[in-house]
Amino acid sequence: MYDLGIIGAGPAGYIAAERAGQKGLKVVLFDKSKLGGVCLNEGCIPTKTMLYAAKLYDHAKESSKYGITIQEVGFDFGKIMERKNKVVNKLVAGIGAAMKKYKVDFVNAKAEIIGRTKEGIEIAADGKTVGCKNLLIATGSEAFIPPIKGLKRDEIYTNREILQIKVLPRSITIIGGGVIGMEFASFFSSMGTLVTVIEMMPEILSGIDEEFSLQLRTEFTKKGVSFHIGSKVTEINGKEVFFEKEGKINSVTSDIILVSVGRKANTEGLGLDKLGVEVEKGAIKIDNQCRTNIQNVYAAGDVKGFSLLAHTASREGEVVVNNLTGRKDIMRYNAIPGIVYTNPELSSVGITEQEAKKKAIPYKVRTLPMAYAGRFIVENEGKSGFCKVLIGEKYDEILGVHMIGNPSSEMIFGAAMAIEMQMRVKDMEEIVFPHPTVSEIFKETMFAFHE
Amino acid sequence: MAVPVIMPRQGQSVESCIITEWYKKKGEEVKIGDVLFAYETDKASFEAIAETEGILLDIFFNAGDEALVLINVAVIGKADEKTDSFKPGNTTSAASENKQEEEFQLKVETKTETAPLFQNTGETKISPRAKKTAEQKGILYRNISGSGPHGRIIEQDILQTAASNPGMTSLAKEMAAGSGMQAIQGTGVGGRALSSDLTQSASLNNSGYEDKKVSNIRKIIAKAMFDSLQNSAQLTHHMGADVRKLLAFRNEVKTAMDKGSKDNITLNDMICFCVIKALKKMPEMNSHFLGDSIRTFSNVHLGLAIDTPRGLMVPSVRNADDLNLKGLSAHIKTLADSCRKGNVDPELLSGKAASFTVSNLGNYGVEVFTPVINLPQVGILGVNTIMHRPADLGNGVFAFVPYIGLSLTYDHRATDGGPATLFLKEIKTQIENWEEKI
Repeated sequence: MYDLGIIGAGPAGYIAAERAGQKGLKVVLFDKSKLGGVCLNEGCIPTKTMLYAAKLYDHAKESSKYGITIQEVGFDFGKIMERKNKVVNKLVAGIGAAMKKYKVDFVNAKAEIIGRTKEGIEIAADGKTVGCKNLLIATGSEAFIPPIKGLKRDEIYTNREILQIKVLPRSITIIGGGVIGMEFASFFSSMGTLVTVIEMMPEILSGIDEEFSLQLRTEFTKKGVSFHIGSKVTEINGKEVFFEKEGKINSVTSDIILVSVGRKANTEGLGLDKLGVEVEKGAIKIDNQCRTNIQNVYAAGDVKGFSLLAHTASREGEVVVNNLTGRKDIMRYNAIPGIVYTNPELSSVGITEQEAKKKAIPYKVRTLPMAYAGRFIVENEGKSGFCKVLIGEKYDEILGVHMIGNPSSEMIFGAAMAIEMQMRVKDMEEIVFPHPTVSEIFKETMFAFHE
Repeated sequence: MAVPVIMPRQGQSVESCIITEWYKKKGEEVKIGDVLFAYETDKASFEAIAETEGILLDIFFNAGDEALVLINVAVIGKADEKTDSFKPGNTTSAASENKQEEEFQLKVETKTETAPLFQNTGETKISPRAKKTAEQKGILYRNISGSGPHGRIIEQDILQTAASNPGMTSLAKEMAAGSGMQAIQGTGVGGRALSSDLTQSASLNNSGYEDKKVSNIRKIIAKAMFDSLQNSAQLTHHMGADVRKLLAFRNEVKTAMDKGSKDNITLNDMICFCVIKALKKMPEMNSHFLGDSIRTFSNVHLGLAIDTPRGLMVPSVRNADDLNLKGLSAHIKTLADSCRKGNVDPELLSGKAASFTVSNLGNYGVEVFTPVINLPQVGILGVNTIMHRPADLGNGVFAFVPYIGLSLTYDHRATDGGPATLFLKEIKTQIENWEEKI
């Protein structure tokens, strides 16, 4: 009998397994695929590896601006993808080592809930049945394939298949200008591929502060990416994608079609009905301690249907383990950083201005160009970016921080801490920021509230 | 020579009082007759007057502190005089309690366990000093389990908690400071209370309910009522009485008042007068049931249920049968006023002070109710609203007649249905045969 059974070895599952094992719980972890889940194998890590190569390539092309002469700039796509695999394998192996260290039993097979016994919950996998006192469902999500006329699943690419391509396409049509879509747009456009993005909503990157989405779209347009916003894909015929824009049907033809319109929680075939776990709109319903409606059954990560982020998933896994091991812990979603790893990076945490308006939260806002931080000028010749901060109208508490520019992804955690701790402008002013760093832009924006 | 100021004893049953406010500060000059401090018992509030003059050298109990009666609460004397010998710790009356507190404090020091932070425990006993420290440090003291006597939270508990408690975010502190809001839980990092954890203690919070501490008077009422229903055999008989004569008399009173009379004899006064007469005639109900004996009183001590802003109070009119109607009316009025002001003599509030009680809800339109006996009394009369009922006036004449509802609850341990009904009937007879004149 295990203390904790975990289905799904992504960032929710393996982190929970690691933390639980560390605390002495007997843990069994199931996954039909490799350790690391989507994040490590088909998401965060491989894409960031590719994006870093693209960024280096961008830098190399621009190096003359910094006085560096490079005779010939080029790349070997095969090597880029090879290194990506190497990075992924290294990290997957690292998780394997951690699982061994914390005595987590990893069952590399599809798991299915059998039911409940007096002792706990029974799970079948790999022809065997094991019992566990507690169950964490962390089966994640997969690409949602919309019902589009003429769409053939084996002819289109999702985040999974596109990581396996051997040859750089000359052109790509990206259906869905969300985070995944934009990151691939960034990569492929840097590599010289002709990129077309078709987005149904009036702006790309829905959920992100609109000023920033617009800024990114503008920069990418300059880079040669074609955008069709407010456009609905009506049909796919081979390599040709038809879409309706302002009442007219247009089409674009490319080597590859990437579908990145959203994610779908993996709740099917798990045997959730055996326990009566409540599922809403295809996702498992949880409370702020990641408890489902069934006692001893928890869910974390994408399978719950919102905040589909690896770091949200890991934190949820930790919340589950903490509560199981006697430390009361609550999952908060108000200070989860969100990053688009494009070049330039777009980082944000907390509420957006649109959200504040919609929810009628009284706020004050200041936006400063990134150039207010000297280091940004040092390292971003000819580039622009900005930082926008929202604070509460009455108490000046930090509500939201949004940045576009490199390397905002590395410093947004500071803003997340400020929001978590409900810091006010005057509290932030007492924090010492290292100089010269781009992070100083955050502190500079604090002082802009005095104007 | 320095002299102590003691906490006055207010009635035999009062063991301690809470100081509500100091009007004089330490070091201030005091004259005879100056009000030194205000204090209150469970039921009433009083002011302590200086009986000597000099400098208020020391104060041993702050506002909000509870002090045993007859204990030294302050010292008045000449400047530079030593006050240590007057400290309650050095007197016998308080020695035991103080020692207890010391022992508990020692225990706290060795305690390493963290007090559970967010358990709901209903009421919170906290010393004012601890409360102040808690507020300064932003500690949510509501759910700390106190280590003082009777679970009272002492400063040590707060300091202990502070060491292990994440407290509130600076934003939450700022918001709480200006608004009287309190954190009811901590959902932030490490259990810190966030601004969203604050709730207005005086208004409904987000969860749709409000937790309010039970006041002392409420506790006393709760105990008295529960004990009464648990420990006696109560039942209620209802009967109506024709009040045409009473209403006619009431009109006369009003007319007289229009002409300048000050005697506002109310319907309630009249009913009480009738009840007293009935009790004199049938003393069986004018009794206390004491388990193995029944004490029947020769005089009527009439208890009156009075609704006050602090809650229900039941003071008694001692020897009410010695009073005439005007006297009774005046007496009831004075008693009710002092209850509402909170300066009623606590002795008069005891269940033992009265021999029978009247509770009048007629003004509120109550048609029938079952009053609860104020033990050890054996009966209580509930007075209801007046309703018109058809009645045979004789000679084939039927008319609507005003009837007042009477609900007699009695303790079946002390008496039986027969005598109780006869008593109720007697009250009815007294009402219907009203003979008093202005």
